[in-house]
Amino acid sequence: MIDPTLLARVVKGDQQAFSQLYDHSSALLFTLAVRILGNHEEAAELLQDVYLEVWRKVSRYDVGRGTPVAWLVTLTRSRAIDRLRARAARGYRATNSLEAGTATQVADLGPSPFEMQANQELRIAIGAAVAGLPQAQQQAIGLAYYEGLSHAEIAARLNQPLGTVKTRIKLGMSKLRDGLQEWRNHGELQ
Amino acid sequence: MTHEELEESVPLYAAGALDRTERQALEAHLLSGCASCHSALKDYQAVAALLPLGLSPTRPPRSLKATIMAERNSAPISAEAAHKEPARPSLEPGEWMNHLFPPVAPARSFSLPWAIGLATLLILGVGGYLAWNVAAERSVDTSKIQQLEVSLQEKSTKLASLHREVGDQTKALAELRNEMQQRVNEAADAKEQLAQRDAELEEIRVQLSQRGGARTVRTPQDELATLLQIPNVKAVSLTGSDMAKRAAGFLLYDSRTQKVWLYSVNLPECPTGTTYQLWAILDKPVSIGTFHMDRGHTAHLLVKKVPSFTDAKTFAVSLEPSGGRPQPTGPMYLLSRS
Repeated sequence: MIDPTLLARVVKGDQQAFSQLYDHSSALLFTLAVRILGNHEEAAELLQDVYLEVWRKVSRYDVGRGTPVAWLVTLTRSRAIDRLRARAARGYRATNSLEAGTATQVADLGPSPFEMQANQELRIAIGAAVAGLPQAQQQAIGLAYYEGLSHAEIAARLNQPLGTVKTRIKLGMSKLRDGLQEWRNHGELQ
Repeated sequence: MTHEELEESVPLYAAGALDRTERQALEAHLLSGCASCHSALKDYQAVAALLPLGLSPTRPPRSLKATIMAERNSAPISAEAAHKEPARPSLEPGEWMNHLFPPVAPARSFSLPWAIGLATLLILGVGGYLAWNVAAERSVDTSKIQQLEVSLQEKSTKLASLHREVGDQTKALAELRNEMQQRVNEAADAKEQLAQRDAELEEIRVQLSQRGGARTVRTPQDELATLLQIPNVKAVSLTGSDMAKRAAGFLLYDSRTQKVWLYSVNLPECPTGTTYQLWAILDKPVSIGTFHMDRGHTAHLLVKKVPSFTDAKTFAVSLEPSGGRPQPTGPMYLLSRS
């Protein structure tokens, strides 16, 4: 379980706490990085950067503003999207799509790590909440969240009116918020 | 943008779907302190942070942890780094909202002169830093060598004192060894003496057994002798009656062992068919035992165990028919003086 006291120990330079933080969060963050970047090597590089940034900036984590996992996920997503955009800027055409990402994950399904097993109930709840959304809403949220596309870029990609895309994202996020009400502030992403 | 429009953009913001301008507008609004938008964003952010848990898990390479742990050791510690960071506005939504701020996108075009200028600056900067670093390292090295010399000096002094201590200990040990040797010798002498005493004792035993034969059995005389040494044994003397004026007796009795000893002298020889009988007299005479005087004998010791007499003070010896009688029937020969 990642609790704020673990982060407080990391702030004090506690190596064991940092090691625990890694054990409890790395599979989730790696999964997210692979989903966004589409390959394992880059995801591993990204995780290296993210954990070093955590080590350096952990003292700026504020308990009142979100769970430790939310902080780590947000940081990882943010840095992964940065990389994705830098790659696009270098002219690298990201082949990463929903299908490609899924294929990678299926191929890489190893033994389920501790943190994943421990969160089984929450994982099922999230899976169900996402699956309960209409396909179009899932797609729009996925393109924004995992590919860093703005609503305008999504509208262009899907060839849909901008308002429609905005509405899909708003409705989808709202349903997820309501569906995950009891989990939202759970904060115990073990 | 109206507040309603801003509020509607919150879920898009959380999903990461706003473009740069819209993001900045909402951020400005949040920084202005809108509590309801802040609260809504927090909720949506929490939902967004849960989304990756819905993905099929992918395990990171095993070596990644070791790499990160190793790199982290060379990274500055968090507290220090945090100290150097400039203070942030209090309304800033926190590090977990970092991604809300536009990522630093690389410039799409970069003019060559600028690039060269920048590169030169970079080289100069790095060069200067390295030069400064080397100089700093040298001065650090010199002071380190001095520290090491001082520490070496201290160690040498310590070593010398340790040497002295070891010498002292060795001497003490030698003394102890000598002392121990002495004790061992003394013990050997004592043992020898003991063996000698044993031999002497054995010799004495042999001599005793040769002299005394089977004298280990306790005789009444022995017992009497022992008895005379006990202070609380009662002693009563008896004198001869008219029947035997030269006769006398000496009686001891020990209530502890309930034994009576009668030592009599000069009693006349018992005529055939008669015997002497000793009486204890309290209210009436009680027979203690009989004894016989043969021809030529002048002394006799009678030893009897008497279960129950304690207070008798008078004793008498009479001559009775053989086997004795329950009450005195014959003449008295000895009588205690009471």
